[in-house]
Amino acid sequence: MIWETIRLSLRSIRRNVLRSFLTLLGIVIGVAAVIAMLTIGSGTTQKVKADISKLGSNLLVVRAGRPAGPGAPGGLDQAVRPLAEKDLAALVAHLTGARAISPASQKQVRVIFGTESLTSGVTGTDSAYLDARDWKLVSGRPFSDSETRSGTGVCLIGETVRQQFFGAGDPEGEIIRVNRTSCKIIGLLEPKGYTGFGQDQDNVVLMPLHAYQRRIAGNRDIDNIYIAADDRTPTSELQPRVEDILRDIRRITPDRESDFGIRDMTQIADAMASATTTMTGMLGAVAGVSLLVGGIGIMNIMLVSVTERTREIGIRLAIGAHEKHILIQFLVEATVLSLLGGIIGILIGLALAGLASATLTIPFAPSPAVILLAVGFSALIGMVFGFFPALRGARLDPIDALRHE
Amino acid sequence: MATGAALITFDKVWKSYGQGEAKVHALAGVDLGIRRGEFVAIMGPSGSGKSTAMNIIGCLDTPTAGTYSFMGVDAGRLDRNRRAMLRNLYVGFVFQGYNLLARTTAAENVELPLIYRGVAARERRDLAMQALAEVGLVGREHHTPAELSGGQQQRVAIARAIVTRPTLLVADEPTGNLDTARTHEIMELLTRLNKELGLTIAMVTHEADVAGYAERTIRFLDGHVASDTVVLETA
Repeated sequence: MIWETIRLSLRSIRRNVLRSFLTLLGIVIGVAAVIAMLTIGSGTTQKVKADISKLGSNLLVVRAGRPAGPGAPGGLDQAVRPLAEKDLAALVAHLTGARAISPASQKQVRVIFGTESLTSGVTGTDSAYLDARDWKLVSGRPFSDSETRSGTGVCLIGETVRQQFFGAGDPEGEIIRVNRTSCKIIGLLEPKGYTGFGQDQDNVVLMPLHAYQRRIAGNRDIDNIYIAADDRTPTSELQPRVEDILRDIRRITPDRESDFGIRDMTQIADAMASATTTMTGMLGAVAGVSLLVGGIGIMNIMLVSVTERTREIGIRLAIGAHEKHILIQFLVEATVLSLLGGIIGILIGLALAGLASATLTIPFAPSPAVILLAVGFSALIGMVFGFFPALRGARLDPIDALRHE
Repeated sequence: MATGAALITFDKVWKSYGQGEAKVHALAGVDLGIRRGEFVAIMGPSGSGKSTAMNIIGCLDTPTAGTYSFMGVDAGRLDRNRRAMLRNLYVGFVFQGYNLLARTTAAENVELPLIYRGVAARERRDLAMQALAEVGLVGREHHTPAELSGGQQQRVAIARAIVTRPTLLVADEPTGNLDTARTHEIMELLTRLNKELGLTIAMVTHEADVAGYAERTIRFLDGHVASDTVVLETA
């Protein structure tokens, strides 16, 4: 009986292809929007999490300057004592629970090889940097301790720099010019791609800190100190130890605030991920409103359908259909209609999300739960909005219905 | 064929519409009885109450006052769904305008009342084919109404009416849309069903020669039975 009714409803949908399609459009757009939003959203969340773990999970970053406001991760004020090598030395000497401690000073600098040039992120650092950032070399070797100490003109380059200057060729041993100083390439970094914020992580040049300070920055400052926690120590435990050591070496009395900030990358990762999730939810809810509009479209067309088929309802009632038979017939028709719209909407939504993840280079992360929910919800919309028209059909008087032209 | 026990009984049946001054009595205290196996023609000018009487006979409508009993059941007091069940089990309908479902094959149209009876698909198909054969439509089972002539459509409607093996066939001007030749074919078919299956037939008609196929003619006028004539069968 129910199978019979489903077949019947499919037939009546087929009979009015154009009208059914237009009716479906509301549901299709609504479901497609919800699915696309949620799928792209969860892909973005994954991407953000992955990006931040690429920056290094269990990573603390120390910068000079007080945090601009309570809990603000960025926005440090500038007119403060920079970090210096004695700060780094104190951390290396006294901090426990750290796997790697490394200084880093950065600047966007023009890099030249032959007639080619490229503006690159040049970092002055030491041999612990690769370990602290969890970066790897594809070929070559890291700086030796003596090169770090003496500030020799050697450097490691990222994939983008290699492609710009050498194509697929081997860059090792070549000399590039960085801000009017020359340095020899001793290694190639593993490609890392773009961050979620569109930053090319491979357009980098690493050189010994002393070389950077002397030849590029022209000072003895350290911009950042990267501290990677070891496997047994959570960053939340490491952070107060870092703060104590630095306050001590920088001679900050207990009544004054620290003149440096410590960023916990794990916290930032969590905060960003939860922000994206909230955004996704909100966009999904907005898209959900269009589902409601789609439901009203279904109600409208079902009322038309009941009126159009008054005579048919009369015939069915005359030959023995009960009210419930007519009710079920139109209810099933509305449900099948909106379910069909839901399924088409899911396919379109997934296609859109797939396209978006390809262009934005975020992971394609369809959620079975969301898809199932969309199917259930579109069926529910059909039932809810189909009920009133179906009831109207079921309550018709067979004599009047048969007389209807 | 000899007629049997009472199938339909009107006991002072009134049917009124409207209220107060505008109140109209479509039926004004009608007493009437139809026995099993009878073939009755119901005639009368429009507004005479014959259509109202037919609706009550077919359990589509209920009297305002008085008692209508069908197969000994007080059908006038039953609710919508019970009357629907009664119609499904015991009454077949044939209409002037055929009232077939458009874009639906003859066989599917005939199966329709069986669906509401809960008959399985296979059995439905067999019964529908059998009913179509009985009305002489073998080979037309998969045609839609648009592909059939008026006479053929009315045969499909008759097949739909008899597929449930009803006790009563209610026919509302079954030949009203047909030419003379088709009219006689349909009337011969109805007569045959009456004789062979013992089907009780109540038929509304305007035309005297159509009424001539029936054994009995009841004339309505102003909500009353004006005459009730039994034609003795001529061997």
